[in-house]
Amino acid sequence: MTVKSIGAYEFPSRSRQELYGDDQLVHVWFTDTLWFAAAACFRAPRAMTWADFWNGVVVPFAEEDPDFDAAAPRVWTLHGAQFQPRDDQTLAELGVGHKDVIGTRVAA
Amino acid sequence: MTATPAATRTVGVDIQESEANRSVVEAIEATNDGCTVKHMPGLVRISAPGRLVVTREAVEERLGREWETHEFQLAIVSYFGHIKEWDDDEIVIAWDH
Amino acid sequence: MTIAPKGPRKLTMKQRYEALTRDLDWEPSYVDKRDVFPHTEFEGIKIHDWGKWEDPFRLTVDAYAKYQAEKDKRLYAVLDGFAQSQGHLSLTDASYLNAMKVFLQGVTPLEYTAHRNFAYLARHLNGPGPRFAALCQSIDELRHTQTEIHTLSNYNKYYGGFHNYLEQHDRVWYLSVPKSFFDDALSAGPFEFLIAIGFSFEYLLTNLLFVPFMSGASFNGDLPTMTFGFSAQSDESRHMTLGLEAIKFILEQDEGNVPIVQAWIDKWFWRGYRVTALVAQMLDYMLPRKVMSWKESFELYFEEQMLGGLFADLAFYGITPPKHVDDAIAEKETLSHQVYWTLYQFSHAAAFTTSVPDAEHQQWLRDNYPDTFEQLYQPLWAKEEKNIEAGGRHFWRGLPQLCQVCQVPMLFTEPGDPTTICQRESVYDGETFQTCSNGCQWIFEREPEKYVQAWLPVHQIYQGSCGGPTLPDVLQWYGLEEGDSGEYKGSVDEKNWNTWHDDHAPTGTEG
Repeated sequence: MTVKSIGAYEFPSRSRQELYGDDQLVHVWFTDTLWFAAAACFRAPRAMTWADFWNGVVVPFAEEDPDFDAAAPRVWTLHGAQFQPRDDQTLAELGVGHKDVIGTRVAA
Repeated sequence: MTATPAATRTVGVDIQESEANRSVVEAIEATNDGCTVKHMPGLVRISAPGRLVVTREAVEERLGREWETHEFQLAIVSYFGHIKEWDDDEIVIAWDH
Repeated sequence: MTIAPKGPRKLTMKQRYEALTRDLDWEPSYVDKRDVFPHTEFEGIKIHDWGKWEDPFRLTVDAYAKYQAEKDKRLYAVLDGFAQSQGHLSLTDASYLNAMKVFLQGVTPLEYTAHRNFAYLARHLNGPGPRFAALCQSIDELRHTQTEIHTLSNYNKYYGGFHNYLEQHDRVWYLSVPKSFFDDALSAGPFEFLIAIGFSFEYLLTNLLFVPFMSGASFNGDLPTMTFGFSAQSDESRHMTLGLEAIKFILEQDEGNVPIVQAWIDKWFWRGYRVTALVAQMLDYMLPRKVMSWKESFELYFEEQMLGGLFADLAFYGITPPKHVDDAIAEKETLSHQVYWTLYQFSHAAAFTTSVPDAEHQQWLRDNYPDTFEQLYQPLWAKEEKNIEAGGRHFWRGLPQLCQVCQVPMLFTEPGDPTTICQRESVYDGETFQTCSNGCQWIFEREPEKYVQAWLPVHQIYQGSCGGPTLPDVLQWYGLEEGDSGEYKGSVDEKNWNTWHDDHAPTGTEG
């Protein structure tokens, strides 16, 4: 279905990737705690390595949870499937796209 | 959704609790058999099965002065049901179907 | 000058309405009617006879003006009395005003938007009956804007959070929720707007928004808010009637209108319901003295009155209850807790303050939510209490994921599973969009080209459109000042309140 309107109705997305240059938005969802009320949204370069993303972007955010353990082994999900990020891979190489959601929980 | 027919489904009105509105509330209570009156902070809720009527005559009797049904606008806070009639003599709230 | 003899002057209400409202209409003679009313066909709604519109209130200009003036007189007498007697000191607690801050920032600007859109309807609907009803409502909404600002301006003299509500409505993250809701309606056609605001909001949900709210004001010593609330609500009954008349009229005019109206009900119930999430947390967390729980209020005003009463009536036309209503019902025991928990951890970036519910408050929550509070939310507050003891305070160091449609942070959980956040994803034009619920996803996928334009605060902050790249930049751009935000305990409001209520100091010395 399309919008019923009095004229042509075509407008660009206000969140499209090109508005962020070489960066993109990435969501990180801690699925095993409700401490953070929602998944977090970060802006990060597509060429950023996983190590930099995790240590420089996500950990400083997540440390605010007194139970957070940055070194704990974790299960990762992307696009509904588990994946295992390597420190030297970039977000682009990992297949993390604009506005994707990375799920994570401490491995049981 | 054909659970209860219009004749018995609850309708009601919320009225601001004030000295001026006391006569209106009393009139509604007296006019509508089987109605329920509930007091909440600041307001009075009157509900009845199927139909609720406010008549000018009953209000005037208690108020001791002329009262036009338009004045009900100063008393009403909310209602549920459908305003079927609002003329010089009465206001009727009921469901249609 | 001769004086005409006095004739029998008094017309009945019906006759006066016919003579002074309906009969003032005329048929255009040299302009095509379609050119006079160009916006009432493109939505696909068919109206065959505009004369069939009923207005039970039978309003005429003179009667309208007379009673509205009386309402204002009563209200302003209360406002003066309250201000003159330092009434603000008799509130239950300064923290109560957080609810009023959210109201002024979130709802008052919507009244103004409603004023604008009903003025548009008063111009654009073909029939004189609905045009006049819309005109009255347009003026009402302007009155509500003004009386709310006047009422709450008294608190602005003494408390934080009230001073920049208009700019904040356009800028601050949580206020994009009510703003985008109304903008969605504002940018729809006239019939959709009538169903969106006149029916779905005013009739279906307004009781849920206003009545417990005003009772809450009454219960917490806020006489002016209670009075403006009831004064506004007395107009609201007229607005509810307009909404109900509108839907019945449209449905009766043409059978082809039924599926169009049904889809609008499905959409606008969910849109409006998501906005009431802010009210849910107000009732359960922001009022120091509680009136009724969100759950109780939802059951009474929505489930009983609307699902049990109204929708049984509309079934006659083939209308069914809103599509995602079961998801809303399933949420009633979790909604307010999840929303307040969220506001709590983001209140450093808001124009209100929050605090951990105290022992008595938590007992009330256990009593009113026996199946959820103790199991799910009490442990979170216990963890936070320990965190505070250790010198912490749970404030986010980042930004949350937002729903593309309702713009609420993605905090809601899966229906029936209160520990798993609900995430829905859609792809449109190669881009990924997330929504918070089945309802919002359905709305997005129905009209993606509309929602891709959403001004999502988080995305805009990251684009650099909100004052700068750092949190202090953004908060400055929001116009937040010392004392507006954060934790209530130790806040400027609390300190002042304690000073004013210290028996050894003369009251009002800092006023």
